[in-house]
Amino acid sequence: MTAAAASDPVVLQATGLVKTYGPTRALDGLDLTVRTGESVAIMGASGSGKTTLLHCLAGITQPDAGTVVLHADSGPLTVTALDEGGRSRLRRETFGFVFQQGFLLPELTAVENVALVLMLTGTPRAAAEHRGAELLAGLGIGDLAERRIGQLSGGQAQRVAIARAQATGAPVVFADEPTGALDSHTSAEVMETLLATTTGTGRTLVVVTHDATVAGRCERIVDVRDGRVVGERVAS
Amino acid sequence: MIARIGWLLARPGAAGRAPLVLPVVAFGIVTALLLTVLGGAQSFFAWTDDRAATYQGLAVVALVLLVVPLLTLCGAAARLSARRRDDRLSTLRLLGVPPGSVTGLAVAESTVLALLGSLAGVVGYLALAPLVGLLSFRGRPLGLHGVLLDWRAVLLVVLGVTLLAAVSTVVGLRRVVISPLGVRVRDEPPRMGWGRPVVALVVVAVCTAAMLALQVAGAVVVILAMVGGAFGGAFAVLNLLGPWLVRRVARRQLREARTADRLLAARTVLESPKAAWRQVSGVAMTSFTAVFGGCCAAVASLTGSSTDPETVTLTEDLVTGLLVTLVGSFLMVAATVSINQAAEILDRAELTTSLGRLGVPLTTVDAASRRAVMTPLLWVALSSALTAAVVVLPLTGVALMTRPLSLAVIAASIAAGLLVVRGGLSATRPMLARTLTG
Repeated sequence: MTAAAASDPVVLQATGLVKTYGPTRALDGLDLTVRTGESVAIMGASGSGKTTLLHCLAGITQPDAGTVVLHADSGPLTVTALDEGGRSRLRRETFGFVFQQGFLLPELTAVENVALVLMLTGTPRAAAEHRGAELLAGLGIGDLAERRIGQLSGGQAQRVAIARAQATGAPVVFADEPTGALDSHTSAEVMETLLATTTGTGRTLVVVTHDATVAGRCERIVDVRDGRVVGERVAS
Repeated sequence: MIARIGWLLARPGAAGRAPLVLPVVAFGIVTALLLTVLGGAQSFFAWTDDRAATYQGLAVVALVLLVVPLLTLCGAAARLSARRRDDRLSTLRLLGVPPGSVTGLAVAESTVLALLGSLAGVVGYLALAPLVGLLSFRGRPLGLHGVLLDWRAVLLVVLGVTLLAAVSTVVGLRRVVISPLGVRVRDEPPRMGWGRPVVALVVVAVCTAAMLALQVAGAVVVILAMVGGAFGGAFAVLNLLGPWLVRRVARRQLREARTADRLLAARTVLESPKAAWRQVSGVAMTSFTAVFGGCCAAVASLTGSSTDPETVTLTEDLVTGLLVTLVGSFLMVAATVSINQAAEILDRAELTTSLGRLGVPLTTVDAASRRAVMTPLLWVALSSALTAAVVVLPLTGVALMTRPLSLAVIAASIAAGLLVVRGGLSATRPMLARTLTG
């Protein structure tokens, strides 16, 4: 793993994010900077606003106020200024995602699940499946490529999800409680794989977790409470 | 206890009112269509002259043909009702409620929803009745009075649909295990060998031989028996061949899929070819009958008695009846696929939302689910029509040469039916869009 330095370029910049759901203020003027190649853990209790923050950073949810700017190779792009179609395209092409339950399509095989995101960006199927098989092999589950998701263990399925997040070469990967459904041993293995495939290759990883062990694997921990950043630490 | 818990669970959950409203709508459609079909058939049984028996026989054939799509529709409605609230049922198991009580609760809930839907369906039937009354048989419209059923018959249908919902729920729940950890049990896709098509081909050959033998058979009873046998055999063929054909087509499409939506659609069908076949099988029966009857009617109009006014009317009425049956079956299939689609969207809500978060466009997800229904439907409709054309092979040729317009009308009706089903699928698009955007 390569540690990101304060001099590294900023990849994501959130400023004054506000998001309310009815009477609940999930984000309350939150600011956050994420640098290229670093791994950031967003920690907080249930209801602290950490998942809403991840959704706003990734363009899944539009904040009521504030901005999110992505510093892409092509120049700065204000995520919050994009319409739904633009944000959808951004998520498809520029971001990778790993969710707690994996959310893989059960009717597809492992390799098809990985290839699907490439096919959505216009890659021919044969090339997409070839790339998918390579990624799965790289994560040590190449022999499971033709298995359907129901035939995989939780840890194996999560590796498929990691391969899917890698497939498009996304510079930023968002992970929402990626080990929440796994035992501690598998959790450690999955986290290791996730870090190796993101920061290990110069990409950025933003993880939402309430698990201190998982957060401890990241370079920086951002504590969120009541929709605000209440502290930042460098992981020991 | 069931009543108390049932009342508590009647409140809208995270998915809003949809899990409650959709089954009510579904059972409403079932009841409205069933009453409409029975009302139309009833008018035939008011006649007592010497031609009445012929019309009544044909009405019974039409009713039998509509039984399959109607039962499929009813089954879809019942499954939708029983499976929508799985999360709550498994939570009850987690809290220690005995399996019997949980099953009782599910059955009670779907029964109440079916009853409400059936009552709404009666209103729908009354609204449709004036339109059905405009249908013309034997040279005059059936009339509103002719298609309105006696209130006792309506009550019987309402209770029958409600009972069928309860039974379907019990049967549906036997296929799943409501455990404290969840309900859904997903089986591996079944394997289907070459045995089915071989048996099907043998039956087609026997049926074709039977139809050819009609030329030498004299007695009416023998002819009727052979026609009945040919019909029954052909339907058996369709049911044997259907799932096999659907699976073969899907496997080929899987190999050839170049886009994400085609890949998803093929895999969705392969997940359960039997289920894909079941929801469109009603069209198989009616497409078969439409071509079969259309050819027979076209040829009958050429025989020596074709100038007899009564024979001309009977031939015209036969074609009208075929088209009405065809339209009825397509409406039922359209309702079935819409209900199944709505159930699928609710079932996979979390997964669909996650696809939206990954940036998968609505067009891709929508196209995949549309393709997963329309491709089997297209193949089923066309192959059934083709099977009928083969079974009455000599008549098909004659009909094509002498009465191409009659067959064109039937072909156009099948095409229109496909569009109706497509429209039914489009009705669920807003629901899919909402789910995708979370």
